[in-house]
Amino acid sequence: MKIIVCVKQVPATNEVKMDPVTNTIIREGVESILNPFDTYAIEEAIRIKEKQGAQITALSMGIPSVVTLLQEAVSLGVDDAILLSDRAFAGADTMATAYTLQLGVESIGDYDLILCGKMATDGDTAQVGPMLAEVLGIPQITDVGEILEIGTDFILCRRMTDDGYETVKSKLPAVITVTKEINIPRLPSIAGMKRGKAAKVPVMTSKDFQLEAERIGLSGSPTQVVRTFIPSHDIASEVLTGSPTEQAEALIEKLREQKLLNW
Amino acid sequence: MSTEIQPYQVEFDEYLRDESRSVGHADSISFPKNEDELIEIVRKLSKTEIPVTVQGARTGLAAAAVPYGGHLINIGRMTRILGARYDEQDNRFFLTAEPGVLLSQLRKAVSSGEFEIAEPDDLTQAALCRYKAGEWFFSPDPTEASAALAGMVACNASGARSFCYGPVRPYVEALRLVLVDGRTLHIRRGEQKAKGRDFCLNLDDGSYIIGKLPDYAMPKVKNASGYYIEEDMDLIDLFIGGEGTLGIITQIELRLLPMPKAVWGITTFFPDEKSALRFVRGLRGEKEATGVEFSVKPAAIEFFNHKALDLLRIQKQKIAAFAHIQELKATYYNAVYTEFHADSEEKVWEMVEQMNQMLEALGVSPEDTWVANNPRDMEKLLVFRHAVPESVNMLIDQRRQKDPAITKLGTDMAVPDQYLDKIMDMYNGEIQTNGLDYVAFGHIGDNHLHVNILPRDMEDYRKGKALYLQWANAVSAMGGTVSAEHGVGKLKAPFLAVMMTDAGIEQMRALKAVFDPQGHLNPGNMFTMKKEGDA
Ligand SMILES: Cc1cc2nc3c(=O)[nH]c(=O)nc-3n(C[C@H](O)[C@H](O)[C@H](O)COP(=O)(O)OP(=O)(O)OC[C@H]3O[C@@H](n4cnc5c(N)ncnc54)[C@H](O)[C@@H]3O)c2cc1C
Repeated sequence: MKIIVCVKQVPATNEVKMDPVTNTIIREGVESILNPFDTYAIEEAIRIKEKQGAQITALSMGIPSVVTLLQEAVSLGVDDAILLSDRAFAGADTMATAYTLQLGVESIGDYDLILCGKMATDGDTAQVGPMLAEVLGIPQITDVGEILEIGTDFILCRRMTDDGYETVKSKLPAVITVTKEINIPRLPSIAGMKRGKAAKVPVMTSKDFQLEAERIGLSGSPTQVVRTFIPSHDIASEVLTGSPTEQAEALIEKLREQKLLNW
Repeated sequence: MSTEIQPYQVEFDEYLRDESRSVGHADSISFPKNEDELIEIVRKLSKTEIPVTVQGARTGLAAAAVPYGGHLINIGRMTRILGARYDEQDNRFFLTAEPGVLLSQLRKAVSSGEFEIAEPDDLTQAALCRYKAGEWFFSPDPTEASAALAGMVACNASGARSFCYGPVRPYVEALRLVLVDGRTLHIRRGEQKAKGRDFCLNLDDGSYIIGKLPDYAMPKVKNASGYYIEEDMDLIDLFIGGEGTLGIITQIELRLLPMPKAVWGITTFFPDEKSALRFVRGLRGEKEATGVEFSVKPAAIEFFNHKALDLLRIQKQKIAAFAHIQELKATYYNAVYTEFHADSEEKVWEMVEQMNQMLEALGVSPEDTWVANNPRDMEKLLVFRHAVPESVNMLIDQRRQKDPAITKLGTDMAVPDQYLDKIMDMYNGEIQTNGLDYVAFGHIGDNHLHVNILPRDMEDYRKGKALYLQWANAVSAMGGTVSAEHGVGKLKAPFLAVMMTDAGIEQMRALKAVFDPQGHLNPGNMFTMKKEGDA
């Protein structure tokens, strides 16, 4: 079985700062990490490999330094990795990203399963996985919390929904996006880190593909970010002081004021 | 209001106990908000015959802060960081804090650089200008982050990283204290020393205390039992680890260390205990243990025995907070956690490779390791380490429901390096002979394990207690200590008596009498002032 895991580099903090002029994420001075959801996708791929054997390739589109993160993926148990990196890919929205990943996926070829994190923690769109399935013309199961069975040509998953879960069967190849319920990602071992450090990660640029130039990078991105903001959570709280009796009396008074108590 | 000596009422019940779960009693209580108030309370009491117990955050495990009558001073409202100082010449950073500042509060301030100092003096302002968040850390790391600084100083607390950095002691630069008679003293490291075993301690009002130090030799291991004594010693060290029996700490100046640039933690799983112990000795630089030269000193070497992993496997199924701990494979018998600090990632990697050679020499697979090289993954390893004592507490709470008289019996003993194998054989063998349930974990780098006997019933409890006393004897005979970090308090006083012998205890009494002739301050901690047989 051949598995491709799509991973992305994201800022380590979840308080992302935006450039007010360009409306893009300011990445300077912020440590970069593997998108947390993708670590679950990697772990799931490794578990499949341990259970029934698989060849796992990690695939990412990003800046050249993402090579280190891909080596990290290798240290966890991924067999090899490919980075898609080119100035021409920069500024891509979810559509352009899905198209670029499609190029990478097709260059690897002959795959049975593509695993993605449910979403990336910087953009929170949860669109790239589904769009990738769409451009590849293969089925997708999103928000997977458990893989129940994988056969030679099918996969049976439990996907999380707002009301519970659904059990979905799909033929392979397919794209699966995973949630944090699916497993507990492992830490690398010393042996794994040695493999990661030794791993050579090929970097592919736009020149390595026959591509439709109008579908990549900023110019290939139909999404227009008009404005971004961080929702504020300004819940005012008040601390009651005094002896327990005084605090209890003050609390009752407050509840009465708010008409939450009517005695 | 807060200099008020309030009569004891039921609403103060929580102040009668600490984490040892022993419960005492008190006649009155006070909550001073600053040094002046504390001094005023002590002066009022000094005119009476009322004994005084001082308490910090009551996380102690030896009932040192549990009162047995008299007045209780709780310093929990003295929680300000007061000032900072930067020593440019030696690149050293100091913070002055009130005794009730919690370790968690200090850590937060140190890592964020937000000290919230109300009235910074010139030195403080100058120091804060030089301060960069993330560049400094406070190395003592006892597991319980809600301990108060004074409690940590009074017990000379330690943590995992004490293997490399030592306990709290060397990081205490200056103390302000109030003695039981109300006199005060400000003592700075290096300024007041004993001459041989004689000392003269200058107090703030120009008076002084003259005395003689005990002549016992301290065990040459990590230690928190009995007064710290050495010829020509710095007199500040009398108060550190003194369990509040000589004076009440009202201010502490602490030294921070430059933060290492690279911090890695590695948990290694072993298939048996012998290979784990050889690994530990190898990490300490004992080449004969593995045949591999290991030249660096790890920041921490911690151990979790097979029973600890078994318990964790069970609790992981039940407790949501532990569910996120990575899978513990069935082949993992026990674990050793090692932490490396260096000024670059490359240097740490060199250490890891050396460590790996040792594992290979021992036939342990480098696949059976969990490596954390960033704060997020370090946190995961911390959760794993803390889950062990937490699981123990949960299990004991469960058993107490059946029999409330049962408590955990946790040891805190350390022995010199050459006895590591012997002490492990002793613990394992005697537990087995007695048919007891237990887990063992802790600071194996210092041959300092917490063996937690987990009694299933009162019969087990009695057997465990007897074993504990037996071990105190054995450990003392090896030149070890009965308490390496938690302190003696009231619960371990019988073990201290074994370790120090009557002569040692008598000398400690004499030293205390110089500061506190009536024995009014923290009575019962380490020893009682009255000799046995006295009325
Ligand atoms: C889950 C858990 C884990 C722990 N892990 C560790 C560990 O890893 N390492 C370790 O060393 N300890 C550990 N401890 C024990 C405990 O946290 C330490 O002993 C700590 O130093 C006690 O601090 P405290 O503020 O709670 O002191 P308290 O328990 O309140 O008091 C301890 C002693 O300090 C004295 N004292 C308090 N304030 C003053 C003062 N102002 N002047 C003079 N004396 C004073 C008291 O009189 C008493 O003798 C642990 C405890 C728990 C519950």
